[in-house]
Amino acid sequence: MINIQGLTILFESFKITDLNINIEEGEFHFLLGPTGSGKTLILESIMGLRKPHQGRIWIGEKEVQNLPPEQREISYVPQDLALFPHLRVKENVLYGIRARNLNLKLYEKYIDDLIEVMRIGHLLERYPANLSGGEKKRVALLRALGPKPKLLLLDEPLSGLDLSIKIEIQHLLKTLHSSFRPTTLCVTHDFEEAYFLGDGITICIDGRVEQVGRRNDVFRRPKSRKVAQFLGAKNLYKAKVLGREESLQRVILGVNGLQFYIPKSLSQETFELGTEVHLFIRPEEVMIIREGKSVKDSLKQNIFEGKILDTIDRGGYHMVYFETTEGKIRFEISIPNYAFRNLDLSIGKMVRVALREESLWVIP
Amino acid sequence: MGFRYTMIGAALCIFIFYLGLIFSLFYFVGGKGFWEALANPYTLFSIRLSLFAATIATCFAVIIGLPSAYALSRFEFPGKRILDTFLEIPIIMSPIALGASFLVFFNTPLGEFIQHKGIFFVFEVPGIILAQFASIAGLATRLMKASLDEISPRYEAVARSLGSSPWKAFCGITLPLSFKGLLASVVLSWAKAVGEFGATVTLAGAMPGKTETMPIAVFTAIASANIEKAIVLILILVAFGLFTLYAIRLTGKRYRYD
Repeated sequence: MINIQGLTILFESFKITDLNINIEEGEFHFLLGPTGSGKTLILESIMGLRKPHQGRIWIGEKEVQNLPPEQREISYVPQDLALFPHLRVKENVLYGIRARNLNLKLYEKYIDDLIEVMRIGHLLERYPANLSGGEKKRVALLRALGPKPKLLLLDEPLSGLDLSIKIEIQHLLKTLHSSFRPTTLCVTHDFEEAYFLGDGITICIDGRVEQVGRRNDVFRRPKSRKVAQFLGAKNLYKAKVLGREESLQRVILGVNGLQFYIPKSLSQETFELGTEVHLFIRPEEVMIIREGKSVKDSLKQNIFEGKILDTIDRGGYHMVYFETTEGKIRFEISIPNYAFRNLDLSIGKMVRVALREESLWVIP
Repeated sequence: MGFRYTMIGAALCIFIFYLGLIFSLFYFVGGKGFWEALANPYTLFSIRLSLFAATIATCFAVIIGLPSAYALSRFEFPGKRILDTFLEIPIIMSPIALGASFLVFFNTPLGEFIQHKGIFFVFEVPGIILAQFASIAGLATRLMKASLDEISPRYEAVARSLGSSPWKAFCGITLPLSFKGLLASVVLSWAKAVGEFGATVTLAGAMPGKTETMPIAVFTAIASANIEKAIVLILILVAFGLFTLYAIRLTGKRYRYD
């Protein structure tokens, strides 16, 4: 297990205070934060290139914050990969095993398996200059995993790649992780990447940990407006607690004169009547109801009528901009292309939307 | 197009200027005195001495300059800027003044102690090496730093995370990656040492057969109106210079590892 406690880094204009991260063995953990939030500084401190102001780091039972990088058993894949250009792919891959004077024989099978999963068998004799972007990434990952590190650090592993290669590497990372289970800490600003690959996620904004949790919790239940906004929350509204239905365990929120019914268990705290809060719903959780179709009981509480203002084809899905007739609340709704066609949606069309109670979330 | 031709024209002017200068030397080449001067033992001595002293001075400049260049390129430490500025001392200081400063130093108690207990520098061959070292050490460090700056520190970071000590990462990664640039720096520094005159003549004097390096021999030949000898030596210096430039061209080509 990796345990980072109270890590504080002060460097030029960056200030990262009291960072705590726990990573279980074999976990793919993401440190997610906006660009320029000092994520690389955090990685450099963990691997020992930079002395943090404060903080302790345990790798298993070993406390490592005072050890030089070569004694920490942490492998690092930087954003620019830094493949050694004067060494062939094979020599790059074996670099860690040789540097640590490990017995190559004991690693042969493991390395061969890695080479097979990464599909770089045909590249071993080449120099990095003769590899494509995707091939370079694969070699860099393999080089890092070669000496079986206790922790693998990835710095924005999918940045700067064409979409098709990005998807390929993303799937490869997933396969790699499920086959070899390296304990991994990956920093990125791309929440889709974190959502696709991450088991656990730590969100760090302005040098502070804003939220730690399993990926679904973080994405659907952001703890603060800051997190919600960073995660690209589109439908975030100022609301007021209007009442409580104790018997039904529900809270009633008012937004622009409209009422939303929310299960009590879904708000983080018990808010007093009249408290100002924020109501959040992800664009993919808003349902457009097909005309003439009966609606499930769980959807009946929060149904609103309104007009479609605009639609945008985003390639893989459609974005629909909807405004309620009463209260003029705007929703961004993302729906799959087939649903978009089936519903025969067009600008100006009057429709009804339903919000599942469980998909709503209240933020202070 | 006027703009373009003006600029290229200026470049051509510089080229013709230097080329004309070199060609004018050949006006005196081939006379009887020319071959005599070439075979003269003092001339051959000054060639040997120049090459020997410049090579030793360059070795010292690399031994001290390479670690310094690395420190300036990779680490932050107090006084780094002052140190960096001081590398330019031999460039801003007149070479004669540099040599004279050494003469003054060897007349202080510490300087006298060094001369009596260790090596004689004043008017001796070690003085030539010291003067050449003084005039190239800063330049060599500066040039080597530029070569090291080109190599991303991330290579070393990765090497260390994979288990290499700082020494191993430096020798196995940074040194081979920057080798071509470092070599060019060394060759250029060596060429500057070969051509060093002011500091050398002030500290080591101009004794034929003892401390007379090539540039000093050129000066004494001109001073005694021995044009042929001067031209022989100048042509040899030019040949060394052109060789150096060619060597740098060769090293300057980026190695593509393919």
